[in-house]
Amino acid sequence: MEFLDRFAQEIPHHTLSLPALTTLDIKLQGGNPSPQLITILSSISSAPALDSIAFEYDEWSDMDTSFQDPWVDMDRWLARAAEHTNAQGGLSAIFKRWPKGQSVSEGFLRDFRRAGGQVKIDVQR
Amino acid sequence: MNSLPQELVDTVIDSLPPSSLFSSSLVARRWRRRSQQRALEKIKFLSEDQVNRWCTDFPQDPEGIASYAHVARFEDIDFWYDPTTPGRALKSLGSLTELWLSCTKIPDELPGQISRGELGNGITALCLWCPSCTLATMTSFILSLPNLKVLYILGSMVGSEGPLQSHPVTSQRAPLDSLELWGDVGGIGNALVESGFTFRRLSLEVDPWDVEPLIMRSSETMVKLTLYGV
Repeated sequence: MEFLDRFAQEIPHHTLSLPALTTLDIKLQGGNPSPQLITILSSISSAPALDSIAFEYDEWSDMDTSFQDPWVDMDRWLARAAEHTNAQGGLSAIFKRWPKGQSVSEGFLRDFRRAGGQVKIDVQR
Repeated sequence: MNSLPQELVDTVIDSLPPSSLFSSSLVARRWRRRSQQRALEKIKFLSEDQVNRWCTDFPQDPEGIASYAHVARFEDIDFWYDPTTPGRALKSLGSLTELWLSCTKIPDELPGQISRGELGNGITALCLWCPSCTLATMTSFILSLPNLKVLYILGSMVGSEGPLQSHPVTSQRAPLDSLELWGDVGGIGNALVESGFTFRRLSLEVDPWDVEPLIMRSSETMVKLTLYGV
């Protein structure tokens, strides 16, 4: 935790404006987003052109569809990004290699969907 | 055979496997040039001896055989008996667009050689696998390539010596198309930031300490961000 505390102090939250950013790709090694990822994303105050965020899992990781805490933080960040995007068609969260046979639970990324975001699933082959 | 249009001959040669290109270059005079172009398009050097032989056999000639090489890879050359050898090779390889240095020493002399000799003007892609040099040499080397667009760095054997402040930002450089950083790259991210580089696409699999300054520095230009392993 000491590392994360130090890292959080180094990056002031919500200070980074990325006016040209249209695409964000996140390759997750574990099933859930890490605190480091949330910290990095939390430093972004504005990304008005952002139209897609893709989450991809490596072959050793499965998506944890039980919707654990890290996804709550991610949901909050995504909802804020969806509210503030000017991209035509809004913001999409694309999940690649989604586990075959797993449905998307109703509560998954609820805030993001309420903010107008779209969840797209690319099922694992 | 002689009635075949050259374009058709070239198409036939382009469909041949690399192992046949030496034989095809001997079929007829009209087959030679295209066969040699394809055979030498991508070359690999595994020792300083090989580099020296290349420089001797194929001196700089804009129309000569050395000009057929567009991609060069230097691999596992962790020491140069003559540190000017890589510079001489780049002089010979005047048509190079892509340069790979894999576990290979970047001599301190190389950036100066490139700048003075106006070498490497055609290089648009640079790939460094575990480069062996100081941070100052690496940043000077990258800075010395004026038309670089794509930069890929995997791991490093970068020495901590070599103060970065001896290579200050001298001018605002146009953003590079992309940067990929993989593995333990030490302070390379910060070094690139301090050298004034910005990027349009960032792919990062690095310690968060290296991520933040790079994102910050490219905040105005970045259109795509890829984060690995987070």
